[in-house]
Amino acid sequence: MSSASGDGVELLAASLGPQAVTDISATAACEDSQLVEAARTGDRTAFGRLYDRYARLVHGILLARVPFSEVDDLVQDVFLLALPRLGSLRDVTRFGPWLAAIARNRANDYHRQSVDQVELTDGLPANESASQMKSSPVEDVEAEFILGLVRALPETYRETLLLRLVEGMTGPEIAARTGLTPGSVRVNLHRGMQQLREKLAQRSPGTRDRVVKE
Amino acid sequence: MKDDYLWDGSGEPDPEIQKLENVLGRLRHNRPAPAFPAIVSAQVRPRFWRLPVFRFALAAAAIVLVAAVTLLLQRPALVAPPGPAWDVIRMSGSPRIGSQSLGANSEKGRLGVGQVLETDSRSQASIRVEEVGEIVVDPETRLRLPDSSSGVKRLALDRGTIHASIWAPAGEFVIDTPSAVAVDLGCAYTLHVDDSGNGLLHTTLGWVGFKLADHESFIPAGAACSTHRKTGPGIPYFEDASEDFRSALSKLDVETATPEEKSAALKTVLAQSRKRDALSLWHLLSRVPESDRGRVYDRLAVFLPPPAGVTRAGILGLDQKMLDLWWNQLGFGDVTLWRHWERTWSEQTNR
Repeated sequence: MSSASGDGVELLAASLGPQAVTDISATAACEDSQLVEAARTGDRTAFGRLYDRYARLVHGILLARVPFSEVDDLVQDVFLLALPRLGSLRDVTRFGPWLAAIARNRANDYHRQSVDQVELTDGLPANESASQMKSSPVEDVEAEFILGLVRALPETYRETLLLRLVEGMTGPEIAARTGLTPGSVRVNLHRGMQQLREKLAQRSPGTRDRVVKE
Repeated sequence: MKDDYLWDGSGEPDPEIQKLENVLGRLRHNRPAPAFPAIVSAQVRPRFWRLPVFRFALAAAAIVLVAAVTLLLQRPALVAPPGPAWDVIRMSGSPRIGSQSLGANSEKGRLGVGQVLETDSRSQASIRVEEVGEIVVDPETRLRLPDSSSGVKRLALDRGTIHASIWAPAGEFVIDTPSAVAVDLGCAYTLHVDDSGNGLLHTTLGWVGFKLADHESFIPAGAACSTHRKTGPGIPYFEDASEDFRSALSKLDVETATPEEKSAALKTVLAQSRKRDALSLWHLLSRVPESDRGRVYDRLAVFLPPPAGVTRAGILGLDQKMLDLWWNQLGFGDVTLWRHWERTWSEQTNR
């Protein structure tokens, strides 16, 4: 990546103040705070709603770190780990960053617990492509290929990019949920996307053609 | 601007990003919420402050507190210690912070830099830091908050038992003991230090690094490791290993064992080791005399063939890079990260 473009993004990021996500973060934080407060008193419905709101965040964070076939189970693990610890969360508006930290630690733990090293391959196991992706074989291959490329990116870009491209979260939403500044998220998205484009071009021109072809 | 679509989906759509969204979007999370166990209410402390009576009492207490603080401010000798302080919550009995005793009327306290938290045989307390985790302090424990100007969160366990559940980023929480430094690597663990300064660590989640000078041990979930005041961290082992294996391993840790005793112990360890005990064998490589190292190498190689770049001669010569490469094959974590953290907090310790 050229330094010029990077500098450009940093300037843009610097000019992007917290105001850009005020609406999202203020509204979401207020509602989330109420749900966290309710969940702390034993309201499982409230915790279920927190799951609905944050499962994509946790899923994206895990998808950046562990094999696809393990992600769904680990998402539930993360919420089960968070559940008994809710009482120790002092600032309820920081639920997202707190949950994200638990998810990252759970992903690290997944690797440590496995004596037989689990490798993050570029692709997905053949048996899970059919059962979990529910797409045509051609699209499976594409998703497999692209996921592998994203996973080869630096961790910071990888996580932000998967939250955007897989989980469908917007930049402001990623910032509000993870606690990162909007500027950081914007830089991560820009640089991650730039590196992904380069990888798509380098690794397999044919596949890239298929990706860009409508 | 050009990246608007990537940023928030606004602006002119980028065909390449749209296609990526379509393809990768098939991996999106779509599993409904499971039935969560009803354990939240049992874990949460009663929220007294929501009761009107408590609020009235709190207001009254606040008035008294303002008066008391005003008086205290006139006495410079009683100012709070400088630096950060950690919240301490009484769980039972009367834990003490310095000369302050926590009781039924004062459930919470602050552990300041240089202060000591001490529990007697009936007391238990917990320390909670939102961004770090929770440390439960068992009875008969003495814990200090040493001066730490760096970003690393640091406690010192002089004696007793603590249970730590840490969710701070790996490498950012450290506990000093008289016989080793325990570095949290994203985990939960129990650490005990006896009156002589020797310790025992059990890891229940994640992994912990133990270090004293050049002696280091890595303890993953399900494993334990003792520390000794003179020799530092011992050889970690999985707690489901056979009694004979663990007993023999402990003899290899003991400085006073005779060469004959150690030789017999090594024979038992090698004979009884399982694939899972590669953890212990890897640590043994640098703990046994050079004359025995080849035997350990051969046994470990049976369970986990050395990766490319690792040679028998290199390992017998204790080449650190080769040892690290082999460790990384065990699947407990990347030791490269440990080396980085180790440098960080070693530098901070030396400041």
